[in-house]
Amino acid sequence: MDLASLLLAESGSEMTSFFSLTFLFVFLPVCLIVYAAVPKAAKKYILLLASFVFFWLVSGVLIIYLILTVISVFLFGKWLDNIQTKMRSELAKTEKEKRKALKQQYVKKQRAVLLFAVILHIGLLLALKYSGFFAENFNSLLWILNTPLKIPVPKLMMPIGISFFTLQAVSYITDVYHGLIKADRSILRIALFMSFFPQIVEGPICRYSQTADQLWNAEQIKYKNLTYGLQRILYGMMKKIVIADRLDPMIKAIFDEPNTYHGGIIFLGAVFYTVQLYMDFSGSMDAVMGIAEIFGVKMPENFQRPFFSKSVSEFWKRWHITLGTWFKDYIFYPVTSTKKMKNLTSSARKKLGNHYGPLVAGGIALFCVWLCNGLWHGSDWNYIFFGLYHFVMILAGNMIAPLSGKFFKKVGLDPNKTVYRVFQMIRTALFVVVGELFFRAKGLDVGFGLFGRIVTDYSFDGLNNELLKKLTIDVQDFIIIGITLLIVFAVSLLNEKGVCIRDVIAKKNIALRWCIFYALIMFIVIFGAYGFGYIPVDPMYANF
Amino acid sequence: MERLIEILEDIKPDVDYSSCETLIDSHILESLDIISLIAELEDEYDITIPAIEIIPDNFNSAERIMKMIERLQEEY
Repeated sequence: MDLASLLLAESGSEMTSFFSLTFLFVFLPVCLIVYAAVPKAAKKYILLLASFVFFWLVSGVLIIYLILTVISVFLFGKWLDNIQTKMRSELAKTEKEKRKALKQQYVKKQRAVLLFAVILHIGLLLALKYSGFFAENFNSLLWILNTPLKIPVPKLMMPIGISFFTLQAVSYITDVYHGLIKADRSILRIALFMSFFPQIVEGPICRYSQTADQLWNAEQIKYKNLTYGLQRILYGMMKKIVIADRLDPMIKAIFDEPNTYHGGIIFLGAVFYTVQLYMDFSGSMDAVMGIAEIFGVKMPENFQRPFFSKSVSEFWKRWHITLGTWFKDYIFYPVTSTKKMKNLTSSARKKLGNHYGPLVAGGIALFCVWLCNGLWHGSDWNYIFFGLYHFVMILAGNMIAPLSGKFFKKVGLDPNKTVYRVFQMIRTALFVVVGELFFRAKGLDVGFGLFGRIVTDYSFDGLNNELLKKLTIDVQDFIIIGITLLIVFAVSLLNEKGVCIRDVIAKKNIALRWCIFYALIMFIVIFGAYGFGYIPVDPMYANF
Repeated sequence: MERLIEILEDIKPDVDYSSCETLIDSHILESLDIISLIAELEDEYDITIPAIEIIPDNFNSAERIMKMIERLQEEY
């Protein structure tokens, strides 16, 4: 891609990846130079301009969705703020006994505004993402009923990142409604919060209180932030380019021809896909955090070494954390906090006890969360299954917990022993791999076919050099991936023990620091999945 | 405060509620415990705890929970 083509809207899809040469060597350096050169007061506007230029380059005219969302978010916030201001002034003039009723009236008004905003934003997301899916399924239903009717299947263009910035929009409006934040009177500050270019493609999903002020107070670039940020970008690049992208052709080959391979090879494909997804998504997040850090912005972390989890429930507290907390705060607790659910919890606790009692209402809320989680990821039955699979796994884990505790006491086993903890981690990883198999499969029926083959035809027959050639991977690739995974594992292990590698490196002398820096760059240049015929792999979460 | 600690001990025993200040951050109280706790607190103190109050800052210690209860009692 040459520089001139960058100026043409919709021609810059290569920019979707933060590891593309265009982004790393043209867009980002230009942003940093201009940002560093302008006075402090102008820096926030440079960030805003860069963010909208970036979005235009990756989405073209679909930028209209982002612009309309920003305007809508701003207006809804202002609307709610006006009601709240009026309420406060009315309450101050009203006698104490009448205040409660008056407050209720205003709360009702605010609730109506909130509902309108949520329906508008989530409705747009649903329409763009699922109208085709619903139309196809409706047609299938008509066909089953022998009705010679067919409704047209709409194919709507969806801007990149809409699933992420819509959730940010809803969280902002909800937080204003609850009085957690004050409605922003500056549409430009909201625009920057919604569009900050490193995060708009794949998140993290930020709350207004987490990043809006940091972004708007745009600081001068500091040496420490620059070096720490660059280190994090490089680390993410290593995960993405050396591991995830190198695995991509093999995984594509296995999942594109689901009927060709024995169960053992499909199982390996699912394991490698899980590794790829983690390295791709967490590597991209490292780049996002690193870029933000250079600008002096601390974003909420999206991963916390998920494969050290001892249960599926814990895994989802460490994987895509900002999505999980969004669902917890805006779906799980609001569902369990309704009057009916509270009554259900009270009565169920009396009958079923402290553990199983809250599980009734909690289970209903958990079902809502995981149904939404599945739907959020995509408009196909395999995504819905993926969500419900995790709902069942987490619910089952909660139901079994007291029984397994009793079992350990009875047989005298210590569940805190390292061996058992490692067993729990491997077990959790296996459950996750099964979920990801359905997630990656092209359709639910294909997913069941693949899973069935693992169970009924678990063999590695035909796993030889010839097959590896067909899968466009060789032993050398596996060695490179293996070594890089060991590096990632060692770093993760140290992080898990509370060691910050970047702090450790920063304390070393300058020669050693730069040696480490260069070694990492050379490692990526030599072992990255570039080369003849290589097609850059888009970030995997960019399409959700 | 004594009654609150009794409620907490009933929901999740074997925790030193008088000194622990990281009930949420250290994952001592999980989401299901919170659901139980809210139902109990609403009955006991005749308050309504909306979802928005369910933040770590309000539930990290018995003292914080008590402060939230007192604030909600004043509000409603």
